[in-house]
Amino acid sequence: MTDKTERPDKYSTGTEDGLITGQEKAAAQRCMEKALAKGASQVRISLNKSVLDSYSVLNGELDKVMHSADRAISLYLFYEGRYGTFSTNMLDDTNLDGFVSRAMETARILAPDKFRRLPDVSRTAKDAITGKEAGLYDGQYAMLSAEDRLKTALSGPIYGDSRKTEETFPDSGMDMPATDKKFSMVSEEFEYSDSLDDNYTIDSQGFCGRHIETSFSCCSEITVADMDGNRFSGYWWDYSPFSGHIGISGCSEEALRRAAAQIGPVRIKGGKYTMVVDRCVSSRLVAPLFSALNTLSIQQKNSFLDGSIGRKVLSDRLTIMDMARTPGKPGSRLYDSEGVATSDSPVILGGKVMEYFTTTWMSGKTGMPATTEGISRPVLSPCMPERESCRNKDAFCDSHEKEISLHAILNLCGDGIYVCGFNGGNCNPVTGDFSYGAEGFFFRGGKIVSPVREMLVTGNMVTLWNNLLAAGSDARECSRWQIPTLAFKDVDFSA
Amino acid sequence: MTCRQTASEKTKMDLRYFLDTFQVTVPQMEQLIATALSHGGDYADLYFEYTTYNDLLLRDGEVSSGGFHIDFGMGVRVLNGEKTGYAYSENTGMKDMLAAARAAAMISGGQASGTGRKGAPAFGKCMQQPIPALTGGGYYPAELNWRDAGTAGYLPFLKDIEQKILSKDSRTAKVTARLSASQSDILMFNSSGEMTCDIRPLGSISASAIFSCNGRNENKSVSRSFRRGPEMVTVETAEEMAEEATSGIDARFEARRPKGGSMPVIMGAGASGILLHEAMGHSFEADFNRKGQSIFSGKEGQRICHEDINIVDDGTVQYNRGACNFDDEGIPGQKTYMVREGVLNSYLHDRISARWYGISPTGNGRRESFRFNPIPRMRATYMENGKATADDIISSVKKGIYVDEFSNGQVKIGEGDFTFYVKSGMMIENGRLTAPVKDINIIGNGPQALADIVAVGNDLRIDNGTWTCGKDQSVAVSCGIPTVLIRRLTVGGE
Repeated sequence: MTDKTERPDKYSTGTEDGLITGQEKAAAQRCMEKALAKGASQVRISLNKSVLDSYSVLNGELDKVMHSADRAISLYLFYEGRYGTFSTNMLDDTNLDGFVSRAMETARILAPDKFRRLPDVSRTAKDAITGKEAGLYDGQYAMLSAEDRLKTALSGPIYGDSRKTEETFPDSGMDMPATDKKFSMVSEEFEYSDSLDDNYTIDSQGFCGRHIETSFSCCSEITVADMDGNRFSGYWWDYSPFSGHIGISGCSEEALRRAAAQIGPVRIKGGKYTMVVDRCVSSRLVAPLFSALNTLSIQQKNSFLDGSIGRKVLSDRLTIMDMARTPGKPGSRLYDSEGVATSDSPVILGGKVMEYFTTTWMSGKTGMPATTEGISRPVLSPCMPERESCRNKDAFCDSHEKEISLHAILNLCGDGIYVCGFNGGNCNPVTGDFSYGAEGFFFRGGKIVSPVREMLVTGNMVTLWNNLLAAGSDARECSRWQIPTLAFKDVDFSA
Repeated sequence: MTCRQTASEKTKMDLRYFLDTFQVTVPQMEQLIATALSHGGDYADLYFEYTTYNDLLLRDGEVSSGGFHIDFGMGVRVLNGEKTGYAYSENTGMKDMLAAARAAAMISGGQASGTGRKGAPAFGKCMQQPIPALTGGGYYPAELNWRDAGTAGYLPFLKDIEQKILSKDSRTAKVTARLSASQSDILMFNSSGEMTCDIRPLGSISASAIFSCNGRNENKSVSRSFRRGPEMVTVETAEEMAEEATSGIDARFEARRPKGGSMPVIMGAGASGILLHEAMGHSFEADFNRKGQSIFSGKEGQRICHEDINIVDDGTVQYNRGACNFDDEGIPGQKTYMVREGVLNSYLHDRISARWYGISPTGNGRRESFRFNPIPRMRATYMENGKATADDIISSVKKGIYVDEFSNGQVKIGEGDFTFYVKSGMMIENGRLTAPVKDINIIGNGPQALADIVAVGNDLRIDNGTWTCGKDQSVAVSCGIPTVLIRRLTVGGE
């Protein structure tokens, strides 16, 4: 019982919108007290519950209904300088008692690690009290019935609806020569789902945080066949924390448009091209940067950005902010899994690395200042090149324009490859060397000419990001990672 | 390491053990099935699971991280034709299980069931022999028990791996080693009255090392995974893994990216089997074919590659990570020829697709846990031996690439386009392996790559790494292949 303090929320059982009950909060508290009573120096408990309903429609007919309800308690145990993590979904008191005892026995056998401890109290969030502060809870969720969900799910598909499919192509915003392609729709898989997630985290230093989030999403995958029987598939999705904010109507249309646009692919000759990466897949190129900025990777010599803190190592056009505290936006959160308060902060500013993601443990081991455990809601800032470095000078887009669209970027780049999908591949975390399968379109003079497939993009992450030409302002609102359309110069393609 | 199997261990396979574990009775299960089918439907099944995971991690010279995790629950599935209703409960109280059964029953809602492509039989009648209620060790008899063995005994093993790696290569800068082990107790019951029990051990050991030389770092990872008990943890395993982790490091520092392009590719024996998994296996999964989405849809019985080629998906390889005494629908583990003598012989079926095609299930109905409904998934996918030697195959290539270490892959089912990432390999020049290469991606088209296989070696090796397939759900699999020459694939490069 070393440093337990009274928490203000005495596991209230009042009317609450989340899933976690007062009884379950009390069970979490008892779990912590048991561990402390058995000799733990510090304890953190995280209780998670979620409910998910999904309705899948295959070729216009209901194909699958699924109802999921999960709950689990995780115990982070600090004991005699040792540390272990344990979890169970058997939450009755009898099982929890045995669970804690066994956890203590297991922790005892581990080697001591003097740097394992809870975060300093001053760093933990104090404002995640009701769970709704992040603005990601929609009260309408509780009103939804099975019939509502089914009706929504059945309203999205377009299979067999010739009027809808015929309307799809004139509306194309992608400027693709798709309308004159003949094809048949092989299958359409449409899914609607909604969920409620509830996290309640407490620790023995008095931290108490709650995060409640609703989510509503739809996705559609459509497979078409051309006149020779070659199949092409297209995928589209939408997501929002708020009911009624997702584009059910239009989801399958976009999936169809993306499938049909791939008909008649050609092979390109390998070489260096300007690469424009669609906003739907551009986060694939950002993820290795965040992994490399994790202090654990750096401490383990497993990062190609080792030694980059405070240095400009990437293009001065690249700025990524962590906008963790933007209420109502996907990805927002007030605390991380340690209970540390998030903040809005720059991660990369004009190509300069501003932050390594450093947990309390890693801070102790490396002497780096502790931060949050990782990025919450990255926002990559729009940017345009100077006129002199622009290949298509006639189509130069004023960098002061507020909206930088895909079209503006294609115009800016002139000729190149517009990548709309990555198929497999990897990035070596030590060297930053990467190779990804890619598919997309060849464009010339800013106009899409033809689909291309069986391409490989190869390079090094640091080089790639130093060759950043432009970033759009078109990141999808529904994404947790706000990464827009990107353009890079001199990228190696093999085909 | 000291927990020998006892007499009571064997008795755990008794039905009583499973009923006690899940605190459920046969009449209760029958009531749940009746509830699940109360709105109609053709078939219903129950899947009970109790899984415990143990985990130990060595980092910076100490085993200072570890823990265990417990997962318990049951799922209810209702099939109405090809339509699925699924729900689960994280406890086995009758009230919550009945609620799950009612939720799953929603799929029936008075709708007519599907009829299948060939006037499919009723579910259950397409089964093979009646399934025994109980099973012995089957394909993964465990001498020891992960759950009872605890974890303390394995700390020296992880330290041993680290020490062996450090002693073999002075450039070693960091070593991490992990032991993960789980045991799953599974009980299945369905509307045909079949009851199936299984105890599934799964042990995985992995080691990763960073090597530093002249200011540059390189890494290498190795792993072993088996459906075995703690007896898989041996000094010999530590030695073997350390040897593998430190071999080829010189080449790794020397390795360069080759000039990319289209060229002959030799897939080295073993881990190259990922080619089969990605390029062919997924496209043979019957759900994709039933929906017409796969590039192999409608090609049953057609020649798709050379007659010397046989490709199987096998749940019967003893101790293999993909072995299944029963799949997660209670169908006995079996070996399925997807390609026999160059002809597309069979898709990989669960009960739904088997009924739709009017054939018997192939034991491929698998799931990640009780939280998921089963779907067609691979097990151990490999190509059987051909006649050529590896040396003959290499010497037949004037200019190309030889690949032997992989990390991951992916496929587009409709188009058949696949990729896999090559951690290391060698250039082939004038029939000889020359300069090392690394960190490249290879891309191709499944049917085309199959048709382009021009030589199959006689050195089949099944890779026992920690392969996990991520088709909607994570499932343990493995892969293998003899040395194979593909006439032409696209290799990424400078």
